[in-house]
Amino acid sequence: MKVDTLAEILHGHPLAQEFGPHHLDMLAESARDVHFDKGWIIFREGDECGTFYLVLSGKVALEIKGPNRSFQIQTLGAGDELGWSSVLMSEGRHFQARALEPVWALAFDGTRLLQTCREDPSFGFALMHRLLGVVSERLQATRLQLMDVYAS
Amino acid sequence: MLGEYLERGTAMETLEPILVESAFFKGMKKEYMQLLVGCASNVRFEAGEFILQEGKAANACYLIRHGKVALEVHAPKRGPITIQTLGEGEVLGWSWLVRPYHWHFDARAVEPTRAIALDGECLRRKSEEDCCLGYELLKRFSLIMVERLQAARFQLVNIYDV
Repeated sequence: MKVDTLAEILHGHPLAQEFGPHHLDMLAESARDVHFDKGWIIFREGDECGTFYLVLSGKVALEIKGPNRSFQIQTLGAGDELGWSSVLMSEGRHFQARALEPVWALAFDGTRLLQTCREDPSFGFALMHRLLGVVSERLQATRLQLMDVYAS
Repeated sequence: MLGEYLERGTAMETLEPILVESAFFKGMKKEYMQLLVGCASNVRFEAGEFILQEGKAANACYLIRHGKVALEVHAPKRGPITIQTLGEGEVLGWSWLVRPYHWHFDARAVEPTRAIALDGECLRRKSEEDCCLGYELLKRFSLIMVERLQAARFQLVNIYDV
């Protein structure tokens, strides 16, 4: 897919509410579109965190391995961000992402975008603000799950 | 509520070195620290006192200097459940950064607690005026939030994985 088409996708995405047109173009420049078949592992625990994703269609399960078995901590779908939080950490992925259905996503070069953040802090501000929103939602969801467990 | 605990007059001169030496602000440029200290004030909470309450407007974050703070959520049948405990050097509260700017949980001092409160509106304004400062600030909050998300997820896995 050509870069201009990726830019069009991004401009029509809810992300466009937080990123200005110029910043969306910067995101598009480090994006490529990727496909994963059902059952494919998108990334594994311990993998390097150079890439993050925006799911365009399909479903993805986030899984953490416990000492005894794997546990599905969340499922993500169209419009959701995937793997964003790990990009900030330098210690590898903390969970695995698996395609539950055929998945179409935009993959971003996180290492390059973090470099762009340092060079253009207004872009960095927008990206971090979106990341905060994503992590806040996920944290809230996880705490509600914890609460359900404790309350049952 | 906050007002009673502010120690006005001492704030401007003395808080900057405390902020500068904190792990949270490590590496932040001096000029930014000078801007941030304008948003800072000393606060104290007695044991058992609420620092923030679920559903109320989120308008500050707290750098804990001494004491211990419990983050609590309310389960329908069990009452308050502590989801995390924070202590010296840790930062409490980021909902002032994320719409709709209200707290998602309670935070209560479990011991007498001293903290530096940073006014959320003041931080937002300074971040918008200078996006370099905003980026540095958001990067730090993002990191602690990601760490807490990981911790909460592992907590969940450990409960189920028995």
